[in-house]
Amino acid sequence: MSDSLLAAAAPTAAPGRISSWSLLLGNRLAAIGFCLLVVLALTALLAPLLPLPDPNATAPAERLQPVLSEGHLLGTDQLGRDMLSRLVWGSRVSMAVGFAATIVAALIGSVIGLVAGYAGGRTDNLVMRGVDMLMAFPYILLALAIVAVLGPGLMNALYAIAVVNIPFFARNVRGVTLALARAEFVDAARLSGKGHLSILATEVLPNVLPVIVITMSTTAGWMILETAGLSFLGLGAQPPQADLGSMLGEGRAQLFTAPHVSIVPGVMIFLIVISLNLLGDGVRDVLDPRLRSGALMRPGPRTEVARNRNRPENRAPDAILNVEGLETGFSHNGQYAPAVKDVSLHLRAGECLGLIGESGSGKSVTALSVMGLVNSPPGLIRNGAIYLNGEDVLAMPEAKLISCRGSRVAYIFQDPLTTLHPMHPIGRQIEEAIAAHQRLDRKHLRERSIALLERVGIPEAAERARHYPHQLSGGQRQRVGIAMALANDPDVIVADEPTTALDVTVQAQILDLLRELQEERGVALLFITHDFGVVSEICDRVAVMKDGRVVETGETKELLSNPQHDYTKRLIACVPEIGQGREFLSRVAPLFRPESRS
Amino acid sequence: MKRLFRCVALSVTLLLAGFPATAQTPPNVLIVGQIAEPKSLDPHAVTATNDFRILVNLYDGLVRFKDGTLEVEPALAESWEISEDGKTYTFNLRQGVTFHDGSQFNAEAVKFNFDRMLREDHPFHDTGPFPLAFNFSTVEAVDVVDDYTVVFKLSEPFAPFLSNLAYPTGLIVSPTAVEQHGKDFGRNPSGTGPFRFAEWQSNQLVAAERNDAYWDGTPTLEAVVFRPIADANTRVAEMMAGGIDVMVEVPPDNLAAFRGDPNLQVHEQAGPHVWFAILNTSEGPFADKRVRQAANLAVNKEVLVDNVLQGTATVAAGPIPPAFNWVESEVEPYPYDPERAKQLLTEAGEANPKVTFYVTEGGSGMLNPVTMGTAIQADLQAVGFDVAIESYEWNTFLGKVNEGLKGKADMAEMAWMTNDPDTVPYLTLRTEASPDNGGFNSGYYSNPEVDDLLAKARTTTDQAERGKLYAKVQEIVHEDAPWLFVANWVQNAVTTANVQNFKLQPSFLLQLKDVTK
Amino acid sequence: MTAYILKRLISLVPVLFGLSIIVFLVMAMIPGDPATAILGSYATSENVARINRDLGLDKPLIEQYFIWISNVLQGDLGRSFALNRPVIDEVLERFQATLILAGVSLVFCSIIGLLAGVVSAVRQFGWVDRTVTFAVLAGISMPSFWLGLILILLLAVKWQLLPASGMYAIYGGGGLRDLLLHLILPAATLSVVAAGIIARLTRAAMLEVLRQDYIRTARAKGLAERRVIWRHAFRAALVSVIPVIGIQAGFVLGGAVYIETVFQWPGVGAMLVKAISTRDILLVQGGVLVVAASYVLFNLAADVLQTMLDARIRT
Repeated sequence: MSDSLLAAAAPTAAPGRISSWSLLLGNRLAAIGFCLLVVLALTALLAPLLPLPDPNATAPAERLQPVLSEGHLLGTDQLGRDMLSRLVWGSRVSMAVGFAATIVAALIGSVIGLVAGYAGGRTDNLVMRGVDMLMAFPYILLALAIVAVLGPGLMNALYAIAVVNIPFFARNVRGVTLALARAEFVDAARLSGKGHLSILATEVLPNVLPVIVITMSTTAGWMILETAGLSFLGLGAQPPQADLGSMLGEGRAQLFTAPHVSIVPGVMIFLIVISLNLLGDGVRDVLDPRLRSGALMRPGPRTEVARNRNRPENRAPDAILNVEGLETGFSHNGQYAPAVKDVSLHLRAGECLGLIGESGSGKSVTALSVMGLVNSPPGLIRNGAIYLNGEDVLAMPEAKLISCRGSRVAYIFQDPLTTLHPMHPIGRQIEEAIAAHQRLDRKHLRERSIALLERVGIPEAAERARHYPHQLSGGQRQRVGIAMALANDPDVIVADEPTTALDVTVQAQILDLLRELQEERGVALLFITHDFGVVSEICDRVAVMKDGRVVETGETKELLSNPQHDYTKRLIACVPEIGQGREFLSRVAPLFRPESRS
Repeated sequence: MKRLFRCVALSVTLLLAGFPATAQTPPNVLIVGQIAEPKSLDPHAVTATNDFRILVNLYDGLVRFKDGTLEVEPALAESWEISEDGKTYTFNLRQGVTFHDGSQFNAEAVKFNFDRMLREDHPFHDTGPFPLAFNFSTVEAVDVVDDYTVVFKLSEPFAPFLSNLAYPTGLIVSPTAVEQHGKDFGRNPSGTGPFRFAEWQSNQLVAAERNDAYWDGTPTLEAVVFRPIADANTRVAEMMAGGIDVMVEVPPDNLAAFRGDPNLQVHEQAGPHVWFAILNTSEGPFADKRVRQAANLAVNKEVLVDNVLQGTATVAAGPIPPAFNWVESEVEPYPYDPERAKQLLTEAGEANPKVTFYVTEGGSGMLNPVTMGTAIQADLQAVGFDVAIESYEWNTFLGKVNEGLKGKADMAEMAWMTNDPDTVPYLTLRTEASPDNGGFNSGYYSNPEVDDLLAKARTTTDQAERGKLYAKVQEIVHEDAPWLFVANWVQNAVTTANVQNFKLQPSFLLQLKDVTK
Repeated sequence: MTAYILKRLISLVPVLFGLSIIVFLVMAMIPGDPATAILGSYATSENVARINRDLGLDKPLIEQYFIWISNVLQGDLGRSFALNRPVIDEVLERFQATLILAGVSLVFCSIIGLLAGVVSAVRQFGWVDRTVTFAVLAGISMPSFWLGLILILLLAVKWQLLPASGMYAIYGGGGLRDLLLHLILPAATLSVVAAGIIARLTRAAMLEVLRQDYIRTARAKGLAERRVIWRHAFRAALVSVIPVIGIQAGFVLGGAVYIETVFQWPGVGAMLVKAISTRDILLVQGGVLVVAASYVLFNLAADVLQTMLDARIRT
């Protein structure tokens, strides 16, 4: 899995916002599906205008002519009818029925889902029990039974298929409505005196619509298949009318002697359904807000590095970690935007460097870039070099980089609830960290992990090791995070806002622990925070970041006492002091006037 | 991940490598591909030809059809006498025959069989229902004279009686087994036939083993296995893959392909079957005889039979199938004459009659009903009819057709298989047999002359005389055209080349006693 | 946990009760009656009336239902009209075959679906992803009966590798290997659609999980990518895919009608189709109850499994 090394050339920037339409067509498979569907639908629609023979004209003496025979491009069927003509007319019928069934099912199902989800309580319970019941009923049998009751015929098959599919719509729509019905804007509408019906129509429905469209696009193909299935069982179109399912069903008798009679409609069904499915897949991708933002991109094992990056010299060869001229950015829909630019930092053994800045200043991106942990796509390291003991991390092969993670550079992350795996016990997660770099048997792994937990101050560590993250308090979870970082005695620990998510007393404990450990083990610490109060407690030196650049660096004390950059001054001023009260605000306010912004 | 792939690939290869040369049927065991699972193995409880094929190998009747004919010969009865008035039949039974369960076959057993079917007060009457019991509705009493003599008393002379006895409804079951299994007798059958029931796996197989003590010579086959394979394609596939030795009711197109295969033998035999469309003579366009005749002239039956059915049927001339060769009828089928048909329609003042045509999707003896219906529709449209097809699944279809076409439809497909020329006309063409009276005359055909002829033929015991009467019926009904006469089926079967002495019977029964493999 | 399972099991009762009413009503509305089905061509009105009397079908519908339900409560599902056999015997015999087929298909489609989903997520937008996506969508787009026939034509008739139909070889069979050989084609056909659906969802779930913070943590620990994918990402994705597998179980159980017909598999789906056509109301009842109950149980099992995998739901 080294393809990320072969990083693409710098993405070209395309101006303007990208429309859903071009997004859809940008998905190659969806585009193919769309084009195919358009061609098929057009052919079916234009059937009356095409120079086709009568699809129902029989000529038993000329039956089962093969494909490409004279006058019959696709041959003839068991009654000598022209296959091509029947195929076109049959597709017309099948598509019409499939789409109509989809619309009927979507309509009824959505109404049921909307009402159940909006009303909630007993209505919801009752309706959903009914839906469950329908779903527990084997669907083909339900369709069969409905057709048996109504009698055969395409319209009845249509109803049967629609009924069978109502539950899917009802369930999907109900799920979304349920959440929406409790949303603030709906409450607001209610308070403003709007009636239920108008709330449903104007507030809820527009937000549910994407779900309905997605469900429709993903079930339309399925419906056409089911129509074919019913026709195959003889419950669809009445002879002599052609529809794809009954063509397939009737042609099946000749499967061994004249396979084209059933293969031709079979292939047609396949083409229609796959075009719908490809398109449906694409539609879902476009309408899904997460996919749209590009968030559902699969991050690779390491951040992509531009091949043509400029790679500055190592100007601090004695530093254990030296970041030189780093530029990391993100590309969305082909547009690249840098997040950090020309960042240079260095960290000596046993030293603690604070990296400070407001949210979005690029400090976390810098920290994650060190070991290639920025999600990519969309992340890209465009320029710079990162020297770990003099070796450029960005040039390391993937295996080497992975072996350095945790063993030489370890991380402690901000929110331990989301950064610990929710489904593995914490002890196991620590053992795993050890096992990644050291060959130890199970027993020793366990002992080590418990010792680590004890070291970071978790009481009854042996017992706690079996617990899951959600069973621990925030402080304890962060202690686990620290234990995990310590597991392999790294040279450098990157602590990415390790105390931000914690309350003040716990924060202090964790800071104490970190300082203690740093002294004890002589590990270098890159400490990322937005809080100068914290910096002053633990860091030897500080780098201040703003808008993706380092604006000021220096010894902590010096910098605190004599900040050079406006931004640094503001940040320092923001550290509240006990007993200061209202004064704090009046002191800070002028610093944040728009004109004082650089 | 790759390791996983490798594992899967490896295991699949291993599995495939270890394959047997599949689907070799075992030696001396005949595997028969059937079209459906039997309903029951109680011969009195079933009506389907498919089930009869199994039953005649497990049971014997008092009489049976002589090989290759529809004539009756002795079986469990060695001989019989018919009284002068045709109302008393005395049977002398074969001695020393035992049922598969070990009990004795005797006159009491015969009486038990018929009483169970016919008398509602019989303790085992509730093991029914017995749908074909009406075949013996003229039987008033069955009396045991001694251990091996039994007398049937009829309420009136009834010519088809012996033939009905030879039909599967007349097969003799073991009273002991019925007493033992009650309602479940149909799954635990016991008769006197050449094969004894061994096993029934639901929807998989019915197996029967050789009856070494069979009174008419031990069969050579060790066992026969009947496999239900509902899907015709799958049945053909099994035949081609060698999973079965015998396949019955081969679809027409496949039969043509099988004919050319040297490893297979195709067997054909015409039988008393008729495929037709009931015409509603009570109302609508078909109330006019000329329109009915026009329909008969308009449909190109030759093409239907030769192309759609690939020669697996012959053109029908009237209600009596030619398989009853003792009915000497001169009637020729309606020719294909669309011009004459148009002319008749004009004469009737119905240039473009609108008709509704009931078509079924399957059903016993129905031979590709949808394709046939579509082809008939096309032919009728060609001379000016305006035909709308309504297709129904078989049981719905039967329900609709049996209650009469009045107010619903103008024509309906139908097919019958019988053992005596009496059955079909008696049930479907008599004035008295209208649906309101519980008959099957769904088209309300009524011709007093036909009624008389049928009544007479029924009570006449002299076969030559009966033959003449039915010939007359054939002639009149052909002329009146209450049906659209289409086809007489030539039943077929395919066997592998090493199956010997396999023979289809005009009775549609499948006797496997003498088959070797 | 036990309380939860119990609660779900109890909620099964009203569902089954409601279903039985639906079945009764639907069957009553279907034209034609069991008597016609039993009698075939010989269904004279007199015969029909007699059989209806014998079968108790001349009673009012509500009475029939109450007779049935009170028998069911005593553990008697009644007798099939058409087969003249206790419903319970037939249903159990058939259901066993269905369970085998459904179980194996479920394993098949889960393995293939999960694997395909993970692979295509990991190789998102690569040619592997595109190929898998296309293959999966192609599988979903094919009528299953059609695929089944083609497979028979190729593997059983042409290459004679596998038996064409049935569950066991007629003679000399009966072993596990024999059963497996007969299972391959129907199970594969049945798995295609379900595998496709599972693959699509697994892919989406994997993509969602892969950008979670804990995946970054796992990477920061220096875990090998394979371990990150399978032990961390897949484990978490599995939790959201399992309920879908439960729903697919329902499809595999009740939706096997075509496949059971094509492969002559003696399962409950084909039995129900036949039972509907013969208006065998008690057999339909029995079959639907068993299928519906097992559908609910499969879903319950999926939920329980999900709970077991995800500690957060457990507590």
